[in-house]
This record gives sequence, C-alpha cells and structure tokens, in this order.
Amino acid sequence: MSLRSIFKGALLVTASAALIAVITIVGILAFVFYHSNGGRSWDAPVSRISSALTWDGTDYDFSGDELLENDRWAVLISEDGRVVWSLRKPADVPEQYTLTDVASFTRWYLNDYPVQCRIRDDGLLVVGSPKGSVWKHGISTPAQLLHAAPLWCGIIFLLALGCVLLLPYFAVRRWSQQAQRVRDAARSDWINGVSHDIRTPLSMVMGYAAQMEEAEDLLPERRKQAGIIRSQSQEIRNLVNDLNLTMRLDCAMQALRKEPIQVEVFLRQTVADFLNGGMGEGFDFEMDLPAEPLPPIEADPFLLRRAVNNLLTNCVRHNAPGGSIRLGARAEGKSVVLFVEGGAAAAPVEAAPARHLETDGAAAHGTGLKLVRQIAEAHGGKAAFNGGPPFRCELWMPVKPR
Amino acid sequence: MLLDVNLPDGDGFSLFGELREGRDVPVLFLSARDEDADRLQGLGLGADDYITKPFLPQELLLRLNAVLRRVYREEAQAARLRDVEMDWGKSAVRRNGAETALTAKEFTLLKKLWDARGNIVTIDALCAALWDGPLVGYENTLMVHIRRLREKIEADPSHPKYLLTVRGLGYRLNREGAK
Repeated sequence: MSLRSIFKGALLVTASAALIAVITIVGILAFVFYHSNGGRSWDAPVSRISSALTWDGTDYDFSGDELLENDRWAVLISEDGRVVWSLRKPADVPEQYTLTDVASFTRWYLNDYPVQCRIRDDGLLVVGSPKGSVWKHGISTPAQLLHAAPLWCGIIFLLALGCVLLLPYFAVRRWSQQAQRVRDAARSDWINGVSHDIRTPLSMVMGYAAQMEEAEDLLPERRKQAGIIRSQSQEIRNLVNDLNLTMRLDCAMQALRKEPIQVEVFLRQTVADFLNGGMGEGFDFEMDLPAEPLPPIEADPFLLRRAVNNLLTNCVRHNAPGGSIRLGARAEGKSVVLFVEGGAAAAPVEAAPARHLETDGAAAHGTGLKLVRQIAEAHGGKAAFNGGPPFRCELWMPVKPR
Repeated sequence: MLLDVNLPDGDGFSLFGELREGRDVPVLFLSARDEDADRLQGLGLGADDYITKPFLPQELLLRLNAVLRRVYREEAQAARLRDVEMDWGKSAVRRNGAETALTAKEFTLLKKLWDARGNIVTIDALCAALWDGPLVGYENTLMVHIRRLREKIEADPSHPKYLLTVRGLGYRLNREGAK
C-alpha cells in the first residue's frame, strides 16, 4: 500500500470524525434552541394570554384558561407595583413590588419561579411556571465581535481544517516510521542470519579447497581447480561481508567509531597490509602524496580501510598483471581527497569522458563500489567514480574540525 | 586455545571467562558473526585475536603464529639471513666472519623488520618504533639509518638483497635474499 493511499485513508477517517462531531454539536444546539425562547410551550402563549385578559370597566375578565396549564399562574401588576389581578397565584408570590423587584424578575426569577412578562397599557402581565421547570440564561455578545464574525469564523474554520489535515499526516508519518524500523530490523536480522549461515559452510569449502591446492598427491590440473574453488569462495566471503555492511549502513545500524586519521599514514599502512596479505602481487603500486602533511580527517578506520581495500581489489581484479595502480591524496578546501586509479571498473561505463567523475552513475555498480560510496557518505563525504579506463575513484572526506 | 563464539550449549564468551580463571592461555575466538560489537566484546574480554569465518587455513596459521610469538616471546639470541648472522644479545651482525656492532637505532630497526620478515613495514611504523610516534619529517633521518644498516648487512649496499625498499610505502626484510 502506498504512503499516498494510506494518507488518503487517514484523511477520510479524520474528516468523517470531524463531520460526526459537527453534526452532533449542531444537533444539540438545534435541540436546545428549539426548546428555548421561541419554543412552543413557553414563549408564544404569553401574548395570547395577555389578549385573553380584558378590562370590562369594572373588573378583569380572563377567557384563556385553556392557554394556561394547571401548574402555571399569572398576575397583572399595575403601574404603582400592586397586583391588580391574579390567577392561581402561589402564596409566596408577593402582592406588592418595588422597581428593583421588577428589574430582577423580568430578567431572572420571581422568588425562584421562572416567569415571562408582557407589557400592557394597564401594567405588566407576569406568567409564572413551576420552580425549577425552566433555566433562564442571559447571553450577551459585544457588537464589535459580531462585526468581526466573518474574520474569526474564517480563522476557526482554517484551524479546524488544519487539524483535519495535520492529524492524519502526523499519524501516518509516525506509523510509516515505525513500519520502516520494523522492516529494517527484519531485513537486518535476515541478512545477519543468512550471512551467518553461509559463513560456516564456506569455511569448510575454503579450508578443504586450500588443502587440496597444496596436496602433493593431486594432479596439477586438479590442484589448479581447487585453487579456483578457493579463490571463488573468497569472493563469496567478500561479497557476504560487503552485503552485510552495506545493509547495516543502509539501515543506519553501523555506529561510526571515528578517530583522527592522518591520511598518508593510513594509506601506506592499508596498501602495505594489502600487499602483505598476498593481494596485488605483480602489480606496480604508485603513491602520490603531497610533500606537505595533509590535515587530519575524522573517520572510522575500519570502514575507511574497507573502502580503500574494495577499491584496490577492484583495480587488481580488472587490471592485467604488471599494470600499475596509483593511490594518493590531496587537500581540497575542507576535504581531503583520497584517490585510487588503475584497471577498469567492475561495470565499464560506456563512453565516459576521460576525467569525468560521476557521483552517482553506472561506474559505481557492484556491491563493493556501492559500499565505498556508502562509507564516504556515512562520514559526510562523497565518492566519485570514473569507469575509465583507467578506473578512478575519488573519496572526499571532510577534514577533522579544529 | 581456539574458541567458537557460537556453541551448541552456550556461548564462547562466557566459556572464555570460566577458562581464563587462574590460567593464562592465549585464546583465539572463531566466529561466524562479524559485527563490530562481537569483535570488540571478544577482544575486550582479553582474547588475543578474533577470526571471522570463513578463513583460509593459512590465515589461521599466520594468526596463531603471531599470537604465539607475542605471548611466548621467543627470546632467541640470534637469527640468520642467508649469509648474515644477527646476534641480538650483543647487538651485532656478522657477515663473512666480520662482526659489526649495531647502534641502538639500527638494532631497533633491524629487529622490527626481522619480526615482520617477508612483510612490508611502513615508514610510519618504523618511525614510530624509533621515535615513539609517527613523526612527519623524520623520513630523511630514517633513510640515513637504513643506509647505515645496509652498509652493515648488505654485500652491495646500493643493490640491496635483504633490506628492500618498497617505493612510497616502506621497507621489507627479505630473508632469503633477492636476486
């Protein structure tokens, strides 16, 4: 499943969640609003109750009994604050009112009774409901804020939209990182396991083949064949080692043990070890080092040696015996450039212009050379290849910071 | 002692701990694991070497010999190139019956080359042996010492048979004498 489709899926989930939240909130608001002021049972009848109460010159006449449920009551308060007419008035509702009483109950409660009022020519009609049956809450909003409503509505909308987009983004990223880690671990386990399982039988093959190569009682032809088995097994060993390291570098599982390295000393030792190990016999090695000492670099000597060894092996393998292999280094800006030249690359590059170096091209194919590039990059440097002939590789290694 | 790290009933590292109790036997680890961590753990425990599978019989022999040489330092008093006898005790060389004394630097140089006989020793390693550190700028002084040494062991110092120059890298002591 591609990351894109996973992201789409997560987006859909978040958007649906947001939609559900919006519907729920709007539903609740609508329900509350419907049963509030303007709701059928509370507000509307007051004006009708009022019109049902008439003054016939001597007394009040109320013809709207069906408009007022049994648990509700009504009073008419005259201009001087006296109750002049009442219907089912509870005992704890007073007969006389002051200006402050009126100011309070018109907005809130009359002795805890929720009430509605209507102004008439002859006074104030007050209709009460049972205690605790209605909540009154005053909402007031600054006018300025309402003028700016389009603006903050827009901002809130954008924030919400941002959440809807970002949430799945972070969720998916986290998920994919975790998946990547699991995949990396599985891959490294697998390769470690395979390389471990290959090594043990391979040591048998190499051991016996080397013995047969030395055996006096075998025909020269057979001994030569044993030699081929031996050298090809060594190739497999190198390949397994390279594969292992390349995978570890890929998954960033190889910790770099950096230390300051004097490149001249390092190169001489690496080539000496290469020659002492019996490799490169019959080749002419040429060292090209500047007279002035190079600035030290900071690198993992084990990995750097592996890189240079791979380059030397590559030169030897694709070079006719007696050919020359040049190694050297030079300082260039904030880097020390190590180079190895000679033979041809494992995969010859077609018509690569001489001296043209590629940092990412066909010249760098093969596990051995891929590893060289990975090692350089792991150190914050780079590797450039030219398929040649002659094959040439430059390793740009950053100088050790002072 | 050769110990495999992966044993059917445990691991070589803990076995190594038990075996080393009260004994001082040189130990080489064999392992099919080549992670740095394992290598470092093995060497950190005090093993003398760590060989990763697969290896060639010659490789194993070379490493074994190196360990044995290091642990049971053969304090041989003398050694011999084809027609040159080296007397470490007296710090002198004999050629055609004539004995020549070696200076301290020449002795160190010759001993270092002899210990690695057949192999290239880099100029840096030689400088490190002579002056306790890979000193840049000592190369010319090193060349002087080499020339003096050649005068003492070579029949024809300008065409050395034993103490060979490996251009750009270092020197190699050829035991049999090159043609």
